[in-house]
Amino acid sequence: MKSNFLQFSRKRKLEKAITLSVILFLYKLISPYNTTLIPLLINEVIVISTFYFITLYTLEFVGNKKYSPLSLILNAGILNAIIFFVLAVITLGLNAIFEGLTAENFMYSIASTFYAYIFMAALAYIFSVFRTLFFLRQKRNPRFYFNTMIFFFLLTSVSNNFIFLYPDVDYIKSAFLVVTILLIAVNSIRVPWIAFLIKKEKIYLLIISIVLSVLFAVNIGLSSSANASNKVLLMFSPSLYQFLNLLMIYGAIFFGIIFFTTLFHLPTAEAFDRKAQEASSLIDLSKLLTQVFDFKELAGTITEMTTQVCNSDSAWLISGKNGAMSLAAVKNIGYLEADKMFSLISSKENLNSIVSVKTLTLDSFLQPANFHSLAVAPLKVHDKINGYLIAARKSEDVFDDDDQKAIGAFADYAAIAIENAQLLEESIEKERLEKELDVAREIQYKIIPEKTPQIKELEISSVFIPAFEVGGDYYDFFELGNERLGFVIADVSGKGISAAFIMAETKGIFESISRLIDSPKEVLTKANEVLRSSLNRKSFVTAIYGLMDLRSGTVYLSRAGHTPALHIRDNKVEQIRPDGMGLGLDFTENFNCSLQETEIKLKENDILLLFTDGITEAKNSDLEDFGFERFEKIIIEFTGKSIDDLSNSIMKQVTIFSQGNPQHDDITLVIFKWCKKNNIGEF
Amino acid sequence: MAEFNVATREDSLVNVIDLKGYLDAHTAPELENVFTRLIDEKKYKVVVNLEQLNYISSAGLGVFMAYIEPMRNNEGDIKFTNLSPKVYNIFDLLGFPLLYEFYKDEKEAILKFNQKSAD
Repeated sequence: MKSNFLQFSRKRKLEKAITLSVILFLYKLISPYNTTLIPLLINEVIVISTFYFITLYTLEFVGNKKYSPLSLILNAGILNAIIFFVLAVITLGLNAIFEGLTAENFMYSIASTFYAYIFMAALAYIFSVFRTLFFLRQKRNPRFYFNTMIFFFLLTSVSNNFIFLYPDVDYIKSAFLVVTILLIAVNSIRVPWIAFLIKKEKIYLLIISIVLSVLFAVNIGLSSSANASNKVLLMFSPSLYQFLNLLMIYGAIFFGIIFFTTLFHLPTAEAFDRKAQEASSLIDLSKLLTQVFDFKELAGTITEMTTQVCNSDSAWLISGKNGAMSLAAVKNIGYLEADKMFSLISSKENLNSIVSVKTLTLDSFLQPANFHSLAVAPLKVHDKINGYLIAARKSEDVFDDDDQKAIGAFADYAAIAIENAQLLEESIEKERLEKELDVAREIQYKIIPEKTPQIKELEISSVFIPAFEVGGDYYDFFELGNERLGFVIADVSGKGISAAFIMAETKGIFESISRLIDSPKEVLTKANEVLRSSLNRKSFVTAIYGLMDLRSGTVYLSRAGHTPALHIRDNKVEQIRPDGMGLGLDFTENFNCSLQETEIKLKENDILLLFTDGITEAKNSDLEDFGFERFEKIIIEFTGKSIDDLSNSIMKQVTIFSQGNPQHDDITLVIFKWCKKNNIGEF
Repeated sequence: MAEFNVATREDSLVNVIDLKGYLDAHTAPELENVFTRLIDEKKYKVVVNLEQLNYISSAGLGVFMAYIEPMRNNEGDIKFTNLSPKVYNIFDLLGFPLLYEFYKDEKEAILKFNQKSAD
C-alpha cells in the first residue's frame, strides 16, 4: 500500500513539474522579456515553483541511492562538468548565435527557454545530491540548519531581481549573499558519512572532491562573467541565474571541505576499516551461534573469519572432543601442514598453560609453511579448553595488541558456537540411539519365548528383565519329541541393536540345529560354524545348550564360555562348568577341541539353574558386584520353596542390592526342577 | 559413573597398556583408540597389565578379539598380566586362556616377547 502511495505521489510530482514547465513555456512565449514588477513577479513565481517540483522529483531518484554517496557525487560531478562544458563552449563560440537573435524574436524565446530548462534540470539534480549528502548518517536532525540555508538561497536569488527593478539597492543582495555563503560553510562541515567509507573509497573521494571543488570554482567564474549564456539565463529568470551561482559556490566550498576532511580521515582509514571488519565479523559469528547445525560448516566459517578479523594469511582450528585434540578446519593451509604445525607448537609450548591469546614467532626452517608469526587462542567454555584457534602470518609484522584482542574476542564467540554445535550433535545422536534401543527391545521381546513349555516331569520357571540398553540375553526351549527337551541360554556381547540382531540370528541357528543334532557339543560346534559369517571380529556369543531326557532325567550339557549352570541338590550348589570357549572366539579346531559335554542325572527335587552374568555382575551404588556368594546364599535359603518363589526372591534380592545403580545388563534366569513323583506317584 | 583409565608405556620394545577401573561398552572405545594407534605406529608387541582393572564386560573383551589378528599377523601378540582372580575368572569362563597367554607378572610377559624375538 505504502509503495503504491509513493508511486502515485511520485507520478503527481512529475505531473506537476511538467504542467508548470508547460505553463512557464507558454508564459515565456507571451511575455519573453520581463523587466517590470508584475510580469517579473509572475515569471519568478512560475520559475521557482517549476524548479521546486523538478527538485522534488529528482530527490526521489537521488534518495534511493543514498547509501552509495560516491556514485551520487560522481553523478553531480558529471552534470557539473556538462554545465562547465556548455558555459565554456558558449563563451567560446556560440555567443554569436544568441547575439544574433534579439530578445523579441520568437525563435529566441523557444531556444532560451529550452536552454534554461536544461540548466534547471541539472541544477535540480545537483541540489538534490547536496541535500541527500547533507542528511546522510546525521545523528541529530539538522533540518533547521539546512532549511535556514535554503531560505537564504531563496532570498539571495529573489533579490537578484532588484537589478531590473531597483538597481540602487543591489547591496541587499550582497548582504544576503554573504549570509548564504556563511551558512553554506557551516552546513558543509557536516559530513559524518566520510568516516564510514572504506580506505579505497576515501582515496577515490579525495581525488574526486578536489577535481570537483576546482570545477565548481571555475564554474563560479564562468557563470558570473558577462557572456551570452549568462545573459540568456538572467533574462529567463534572475532568480534562476543567481541560484546557479549559489549552487556553484556551494559545490566549491562543499567539495573543498570534503577534500580536507577526507585527507584528515585518511591516516586512520585502515584502522577504521579493520574495526568495522571486526565488528561485522563478530556480528556474523554471533548470528552463527544460533544458526549452525553442522559442526564442519561452523568450523570452516570460523577459520575463514579468523583470517579476516586479524588480517592473517592462514588460520586453522583444533577441536578437542573427548580430550583428544584433532584438526577441525583449515583456511589457506593444507591439512597435513596444519597438523604438522600444531604438533610443532605443542612440542614447543605447554598448551595447557595458554589461557589467553599468545603470539609466537617461529624459525622458518623448522616448519613446512613459511610462517613468521602465529597467534594461538584457546577456545574456552566454562574455563575448560575445548580447542585452539590459530592464526598465522607470513609477513614480518607480528600480531599486535589489537590483533590479539580481536582474535581473543573472536575465539570466545567461536568456542560457544562450537560447544553449541557439539551439544546439538550429541542430542541428535542420543535421540537416534533411543530410537534404536526401542527397535532392539522390540526384537528381543519377540525372540524370548512367550511362555514356558508345560511338561509333566519338570517344573520350569523363567525370568527375563531387559536392561535399558538391550544387553543381548536370549533363552529358549525346544520340545524335540521322544520325551526330549532342548534348552539354550545365551548372551551376545555388546549392546543395542547390533546385539539384538545377532541374538535373532542365534535364535534361528539353535532352533534349526537343535532339531537336526542331538549332542549339545555338536550343536554348539555347528552354531559356531554358522555364526562365523555373521559375527564381526569383536563380537561373540556365550551359550549353554542342553538336552534333557524326560524319561530318565538325564541332562546332557555343553557350555560355550557362558557362566556355569548350577545344579542344586540337598541344599548344596554345584557349578556345572564343562570346558568350552565362547562362540565366535575361534573358528578353528581349537574351538571344537575346547568343548566338553557333561552328563547330569537328576534326582527328585533336583534343581538345574541357568543364568546370565547380569545377576552376578549387578552392581550397587558403590560399584560392588552382587557376586556369586550372595547368589548362592539365596538359592540355598529358598531351595525348599517352589521354583517361582526361588526366582522371585533372587530377583527381589538383586533389585534391592542394585538400587541406586541402573541395571546395565539384561538379567535372565531359567530354573528347572525335576519332579517325577508328582506325576507317576512313586511313593 | 564407573571410571576407566587407559595408559601406555614402552618397556624394552614392548608396549605395555595399563588398564584401570571398569572396562565396558561405554569405555571400550578408549581402549580401541589405543590399539588403533599402536597399529598405526606399527607396534605389535603388547602386554596388557590388568592389575588395576576392576571389571571387564563382553564389549571390553571384544576389543582384544578385534585386535589380536593384526598383532599376530605382524609377529606380535597381546599378552595379559597381573589379573585379579575375579577378572581372571571372567577371561577363564569365556575360554580366553586357550587363545591368549596370561602371566602373573608383567616382566614375565615382556621377557617372553624378547626371548621370542631373540630366537
